[in-house]
Amino acid sequence: MFSISLRADRLSKTYEAGLLSTGKCIFREVSFEIRSGKTFGLMGSSGEGKSTLGRVVAGLEKATTGSVYYKGTPLTLMKKNEKIAFRRKVQIMFQDPTDAFNPRKKIGHAISEVLALLGVPEARHSSKTEEMLITTGLPKEVLSRYPSQISGGQLQRLALSRILLLDPEYIVLDEPTSALDVSVQAQILHMLKEVQTERNTGYLLISHDEIVIRFMSDSYGVLENGQLKIIE
Amino acid sequence: MSPEAAHIESSCITEACTEEYSEKKREISSLNFKFPGELLFKISGRRKGLKGQLNRGGIFLFVFFLFMALFPSFLAPYAPNERFTPYKEPSWDHFLGTNDIGNDIFSELVYGSRISMTVGFAAALVSTLIGAILGICAGYFRGALDELLMGFTDVVLIIPKIPLIIVLGAYLQPSIWILIPVLGLLSWESTARVTRSKTLQLREAGYVKSARCMGFSSWHIMSTDIFPNLYNVLLPKFMLATASAMISEASLSFLGLSDISMKSWGTMLSFAFFRGGFIRDMWWWYTPPGICITLCIISIALIGFGLETQGKEHVREGADAM
Amino acid sequence: MNVSIVNTLLEVKDLQVFFKGIKTITALSGISFSIAESETLSLVGETGCGKSVAAHAIMRLLPSEARVKGIVKFRGKNLLELSEKEMVEIRGKEIGIIFQNPSLALNPVYSIGHQLAEPLCVHKKEKKEKALFMAAGALKNMGFANTAEYIRYYPSWCSGGMNQRFLIAASTILGPALLIADEPGKGLDRKRVSELETELKKLKFKNKTALLLISHDLSFVQRLADRVAVMYAGEIVEMADSSSIFEEPLHPYSKGLLNSLPEKGFIPIPGFSPSLSNLPSGCRFYPRCSLRKRHCIENHPDLKKINGRAVRCFLYP
Ligand SMILES: Nc1ncnc2c1ncn2[C@@H]1O[C@H](COP(=O)(O)OP(=O)(O)OP(=O)(O)O)[C@@H](O)[C@H]1O
Ligand code: SF4
Ligand SMILES: [Mg+2]
Repeated sequence: MFSISLRADRLSKTYEAGLLSTGKCIFREVSFEIRSGKTFGLMGSSGEGKSTLGRVVAGLEKATTGSVYYKGTPLTLMKKNEKIAFRRKVQIMFQDPTDAFNPRKKIGHAISEVLALLGVPEARHSSKTEEMLITTGLPKEVLSRYPSQISGGQLQRLALSRILLLDPEYIVLDEPTSALDVSVQAQILHMLKEVQTERNTGYLLISHDEIVIRFMSDSYGVLENGQLKIIE
Repeated sequence: MSPEAAHIESSCITEACTEEYSEKKREISSLNFKFPGELLFKISGRRKGLKGQLNRGGIFLFVFFLFMALFPSFLAPYAPNERFTPYKEPSWDHFLGTNDIGNDIFSELVYGSRISMTVGFAAALVSTLIGAILGICAGYFRGALDELLMGFTDVVLIIPKIPLIIVLGAYLQPSIWILIPVLGLLSWESTARVTRSKTLQLREAGYVKSARCMGFSSWHIMSTDIFPNLYNVLLPKFMLATASAMISEASLSFLGLSDISMKSWGTMLSFAFFRGGFIRDMWWWYTPPGICITLCIISIALIGFGLETQGKEHVREGADAM
Repeated sequence: MNVSIVNTLLEVKDLQVFFKGIKTITALSGISFSIAESETLSLVGETGCGKSVAAHAIMRLLPSEARVKGIVKFRGKNLLELSEKEMVEIRGKEIGIIFQNPSLALNPVYSIGHQLAEPLCVHKKEKKEKALFMAAGALKNMGFANTAEYIRYYPSWCSGGMNQRFLIAASTILGPALLIADEPGKGLDRKRVSELETELKKLKFKNKTALLLISHDLSFVQRLADRVAVMYAGEIVEMADSSSIFEEPLHPYSKGLLNSLPEKGFIPIPGFSPSLSNLPSGCRFYPRCSLRKRHCIENHPDLKKINGRAVRCFLYP
């Protein structure tokens, strides 16, 4: 096994039976591995639990059984500082770009907040932000706008570059383009590829679109009835 | 969505979804307001017909009372404790006559607005703050804390308020500094519930999830991502809480459980009734505070309802602008 | 084109929409098109080019800060001049609409059955039980097996795909002559999209419903639409039969759009569309156009007709 990889080991997720709902098994015994610089595609129709799986891999939700290994350590056994490192290094990007930014914060604010979180001194914020805008190819004026004043494609680019500020090793891309139109989709996919070759990032690409998956990934799996079929 | 989440959501869907909607829509139409006044203006501007006029009337009245409370010396001809001949009828010198100890009733009325509204707003502030904090914590952390807090809320909900305050008022020194926290502490449940359901929903928003993923602290997320977006749930709740606190204050003062040194409208009413105003048929003494209380509460409630229905109106329009 | 033979159902002439605000946004700067009975016209184009605004302007559902100019003739009546009361009669009954976001368009506090039955009760004055029965029938048509069950469901209990189908059932239950579908396939996976396609085809061929289809999904458009209008930054840049657009696009933007299709290998168009509050005076596609000439920046091209299609570009005199 690669020690540097992000690995899902026999993950299962079951929702407990509640007062009004019966329990439901979302997926069972799912294992796969994401290597840095490579893309693992995850395909399946809606409601199959792809997003849940993505959230489990990103550590936002706990699996019922099985665990996610990051650099050989399972998530559940991580110490506090390891957990913080994991939080930084494994990021997730969501489907709906209009939802990715707090509607009440200006873009510039949202970005400098992340920089502050990273401990970048205030004085270097503007240069860092400018650097980031160059990678996105967006004009500087977007910083003084609210998310609702920016188009979906531009927001998705900003969301991606905000994530890149954290310099992650792995990104879970949860349907990164399915809310976007074809021309913007093409732009985002190309941007993702560029980033990958530049920074050697590993992607877990979740999509229901087979063509997107084939275009982007080195290997992929299909989630069907809670089982994962891996296709190289 | 998980079945469990679906269950939670369907139970609190009424406020949550409609609010979310107005949220989106407002973000589109007016981008960077922060100032409540502008919001009020927007509501009044947008509504047509009877409803709009009621709203505008409410805002106008409210502004009037606010002015009265903030700058009483502009309106009141005398200081509230200045003494003249008692039991005078209305005249040019004393617009509403004088009371049993010779204070000018009109001046007393103007200064009384200050006390009434202070109690109302301060108690509402306390209750909104408590409700918002508990609601956010319950909604954000979910799990055991949620159940605990909401269980606690239910307990508070069934406490009979006015009797309790009467008992407390009888034992403690009657003073508005006791009244405010007591009223605040006993009326936060509905705010907490609404806040919680909205928080449950905001928690699932992409920006909250990505903030969690980027490693922002819970405190940071709750204060900068969730709290500002609760604004259009909390503002109407705050207004309605103010109105209800003012009603409670008036009823308690009328029962004589108030601070005599700080005369509110309720205290005035009580004095008018128990110190001869009623027997002497001095309507200029006992009606004005009653009218003021009623109008002020109506104006605040109108604003509150206006803010609250705003979201629902948009849903009825049925259009998603983007 | 068989448009001239069949009666036109909807005619939009020089429709302009502005949003007043800090800066005036020109969301639509004069678009014209017509839809014949049982014809499908599709509006395609990048996000924010004004497709939804056009749909909402036709239905008079725009928020109050919008200023609308132009003519929208539906069966001879100018919809923009009707009173709100008359408009209510037309919405749902004569023109149905499916919104971009199904979970927002369905009211979360009412059950699916209630929402399906309500238009029947209001417009057709049906009894509640009969209306519910008809609603169940409509759901059956949408391919739901267990209709008695679904009638009692609430929108939040169902997936996006299911809600989308509920919404179609709700908007077509009165049998409108025109259905406006704003991104009906958005957020749905392949399988659901193809189900949706069958549903829309059924409407089109069986019920003879005219369709104004707004979609990003070009292959979906290709399979359904009779004619296609390509929009860019609030204006129509090319309008032609579906087959000719997809086989031989004329406008550089249409070409770019087709090149970014998955089949062509996701070749993106560089840059972004202009801001609608500050539109360039020349060709709006100029900054991104690979075939641009000097005079394109100064002059605004008109929509010109050539061989039964219309293009807005100086390359085609
Ligand atoms: N209420 C509003 N106030 C101001 N501008 C608005 C409003 N509604 C829409 N717009 C603007 O009008 C333009 C067209 O929006 P529209 O929603 O029609 O785009 P669209 O083509 O449907 O995009 P999408 O493909 O994302 O659905 C956008 O730039 C948008 O910002
Ligand atoms: S008019 Fe000129 S710039 Fe505009 S699309 Fe045609 S060639 Fe390109
Ligand atoms: Mg749209």
